[in-house]
Amino acid sequence: MNGPSLKIFSLLFGLVYLVVFYMEWAIFRYYPETQTFYLKNHPDNGPAILWYGWLAAAAIVSAAAALVVPRRLAERIPNEWIWEISLVLIVAMFIYEKQWFF
Amino acid sequence: MITVLLIVHGLMAVTLLGAITHQAFSVAAPAPGRRSFFARFRQVNAAAYARPIVVLFVLTALCGGLLYPRYRIDVRTTLEDLQLRAANGVFEIKEHLVALGLGLLPGYWLLWQAPPSTEGARSRRYVTWLLAFVVWWGFLVGHVLNNIKGLLP
Repeated sequence: MNGPSLKIFSLLFGLVYLVVFYMEWAIFRYYPETQTFYLKNHPDNGPAILWYGWLAAAAIVSAAAALVVPRRLAERIPNEWIWEISLVLIVAMFIYEKQWFF
Repeated sequence: MITVLLIVHGLMAVTLLGAITHQAFSVAAPAPGRRSFFARFRQVNAAAYARPIVVLFVLTALCGGLLYPRYRIDVRTTLEDLQLRAANGVFEIKEHLVALGLGLLPGYWLLWQAPPSTEGARSRRYVTWLLAFVVWWGFLVGHVLNNIKGLLP
């Protein structure tokens, strides 16, 4: 992956991660009690970990997009967007997760 | 085995915390001329920290990911039994922040590869601060939750 592709990856990863988290679209689930992976929900196996599936989904989508987006287009995207979009995503995540505290 | 992994995770987190804090302070403002402790703390070769920070962040997150199943079974259920919703909440936030931090790393790496005097300095500073926030949150939450039984009355 070249420089501009890394920028695309960083711009998309957080966005995709929060979308799949919000929608609970894990591409797989891990059940620690039975130490098994499943593509679908298996509540009989105890609590599931979706985090790995969210990370994998975000990594796959962002890497694919980073490879597909033309270099010229990626170079035109300002570096400022990396921290600006990340900051917006972090604030949005905090707003959503405030449900734990109130 | 899980205890060894937890200690390794903690040690890597401490190292990462030190590195990112040095770098975050160094990009805050030019170090003053006088040679105080804080001036020396900030006056590091910040660019040299970028590669170790990327490596340490990935390794620490990987280690945390390996510990996570045990946390999910033992700690989280205990927190739920004790109705400590806020404790569960801060860990949920840690989980998301680490994920967002992992996604931020390629951009962070890219910005630190550019010459230090370019127009990317502003982005470099803010990305470093965001990453520092992620690391500090992860460290403090991990530390408190690891010791929460001893902290409760």
